[in-house]
Amino acid sequence: MLQKKICMVGVFGTGKTCLVQQYVHSIFSVKYLSTVGVKIDKKEVQVGDQPVTLMLWDLEGRDSNRDVNGSYVRGAHGLIYVADGTRRETVEQLSEIQDMVTGVVGEIPSVMALNKIDLTDEWQLGSSDENPPGPNGVHRIRTSAKTGEGVEATFQWLAEATMRNPVT
Amino acid sequence: MTLDPHENVANGEKPVAEFAALRRLLVGPEQRRLQELSEEIEARELTAAELADHLPEAIALRGSRDRQLGRALGPTIETALRESIRRNPREMATAIFPILGPAIRKAIAEAMAGLVRSINNAVDQSLSVRGLKWRVEAWRTGVPYPDIVIKHALVYRVEQVFLVHAETGLLLEHVSAPDLSVPDADLISGMLTAIQDFVRDSFRPAEGAMLRTFSVGEHTVQVEAGPQALLAIVVRGQAPDTLLRRQQDTLETVHLEFASQLTNFSGEALPFEPARPLLEGCLETVLTTTQPGAPRRLRWLRWAVPLFLIVAVIGGLYVRSALRWGRALATLRAEPGVVVVDASRGWRRWSISGMKDPVAREPSAVLAAAGLSSRALSGTWESYLSLDSAIVIARATRSLGLTSTAAVSLRSDTLFVSGVVPLEAFARARQGGLPPGIAGVDLRSASPVLPAALESLRQSIDAELVQFEPGSSELPQASMTRLTTFASRLRQLNDGVAALGASTRLVLTGRTDPTGADETNTALAQRRVDRVAGLLALSGVDTSRLILDAVATARPLPADDPAERARINRSVSFAVTVSADHRTARGQ
Repeated sequence: MLQKKICMVGVFGTGKTCLVQQYVHSIFSVKYLSTVGVKIDKKEVQVGDQPVTLMLWDLEGRDSNRDVNGSYVRGAHGLIYVADGTRRETVEQLSEIQDMVTGVVGEIPSVMALNKIDLTDEWQLGSSDENPPGPNGVHRIRTSAKTGEGVEATFQWLAEATMRNPVT
Repeated sequence: MTLDPHENVANGEKPVAEFAALRRLLVGPEQRRLQELSEEIEARELTAAELADHLPEAIALRGSRDRQLGRALGPTIETALRESIRRNPREMATAIFPILGPAIRKAIAEAMAGLVRSINNAVDQSLSVRGLKWRVEAWRTGVPYPDIVIKHALVYRVEQVFLVHAETGLLLEHVSAPDLSVPDADLISGMLTAIQDFVRDSFRPAEGAMLRTFSVGEHTVQVEAGPQALLAIVVRGQAPDTLLRRQQDTLETVHLEFASQLTNFSGEALPFEPARPLLEGCLETVLTTTQPGAPRRLRWLRWAVPLFLIVAVIGGLYVRSALRWGRALATLRAEPGVVVVDASRGWRRWSISGMKDPVAREPSAVLAAAGLSSRALSGTWESYLSLDSAIVIARATRSLGLTSTAAVSLRSDTLFVSGVVPLEAFARARQGGLPPGIAGVDLRSASPVLPAALESLRQSIDAELVQFEPGSSELPQASMTRLTTFASRLRQLNDGVAALGASTRLVLTGRTDPTGADETNTALAQRRVDRVAGLLALSGVDTSRLILDAVATARPLPADDPAERARINRSVSFAVTVSADHRTARGQ
């Protein structure tokens, strides 16, 4: 049984938890996020003929005043950053979080979910935001908690990426 | 200039030196190389020889430094062993026998000890009042019995064991109690790690400190952390200190045996499957009934209850047997003609001795009727004469030859006999020699019965009828001849009866048909009787034994047809009466 620890981080209010709720197996309530600061879910994906269990550590949403809890990120095999496509600043705030996280775990496979794509009228991101230049650009996928768009693709991409990069 | 070395031999040493110089010029590098190779080969041989000398020290040295040598040699040794076993298994079996023997013995001893323990537990459980109470509760509530036992008797039970990768919180291996299903052990494992982090972050304890135990209801979670893995156990009930020590030992063993797997862990839990038995070693259930020491004061009950039952059964059997013996003995003592002098009852053999009248019932039959087995019984009996009235009567009945048609009673020393009695009995009573206990026999109420041969003779006489012509008292010749043989039968009967001490009388009844006057008929009847009596007297019959009765028409022989009735009544008929002598022995 192959398992991967995946941490999901994002700015407060980006719809991070809603995004995955319907696609994961969960036995803990959302309350854990505001109490313990983390909630662990499980997602099974298939990479080739190898089943992979993603242990999804959904970390409490962060704002500029609070840091991501480094202890929870330790040992992660992959990261999902969640930004709100209708709030451009969340993408920018994410880069701070990203610096902090990579400081703890180093460079590991990461994907950024640009959420709320269903709200097309309010979408604020341009092509430079969605496909940033430079080697440090994290893979980005447009997602919607409402329609489910991009969610499975996010998990699939990350699972494959962690398999390609087994040594963390 | 030629290169032939023989050409200038006569010129002495000079050409030789020149030739050598020339050779150096031409093949010098090859010569040097040849020399080097030769030395190298020699040096190699030297190293192999030296290696043989130094190999043991070398192995010891490397072995003390690290485990590389073991790892390197491991596969080769495994292959060699496999090959050796394949080629000659007997050799290997012989070699390892000294190890296997004791190991097998130990395993068997442990299995036996376990069996004894489980038998003890089963006896405890099923025979104790508490065990019965739990069974009733299980039956009443519908909860399975094992659950009830756990509810009441549980000291502690390790229900789950988690082996968790310390850094990632991923589950490496998980075992749980057989009746427990834990579908999301991996999620729990993650959260367990997260909570550790949460507590550490929240309270900022000293370096290395951690959340080691927490309790929820009757469950306690005990977490032990190693450098690379956590071992968490979920305990129901009160865990003892020994459990913590075992948990620590297990975690240390995991770190030792799975060091490289833990270091290289990248999410694949498969390499940790061999750790399952280690973790399963932590799973255990301890009930108050299995806990040594605690129920010691009640332990005697385990043996006392069956012991009591056995004693009760044996005691019951003994008492029953004693009662039966007493009853049978009382019956035997009451039996007429039997006197019990001594009776003893051992474990296997029972013996009775005493005296017995020959006509009394067999003692063994009396005891068998009273329900006492005759097989274990031995009797010693001396004969004696009983004066018990029942025995006296029985003895007299036997000696007189009385049958069941006679009623017998004893008053004082006289035997009163009534009913039908064989004629011989009269004779025997009169002859004396009466059995002990009887002075006389009273046969006045008894009617004698002839022996069979005489009885049929008597009946043939009774059936005889001498017929006459109407108005006549003369007899034809044929009737007279017939009377002669009749007379001889009569004498025969008389002699037979006289031999038995009795006598007969013959009544001759003369009749007529109803025609004619009564006086005439009476006279005719008288003549007929006289005629027959006269003929019998001529044939030698003692006339004093004859009784002549001329009834004429008074008591006619019956017949339906009047003509036939008239015919058969013109006759003389016979009736024999036997009179026994009632005098008894007392009278003599």
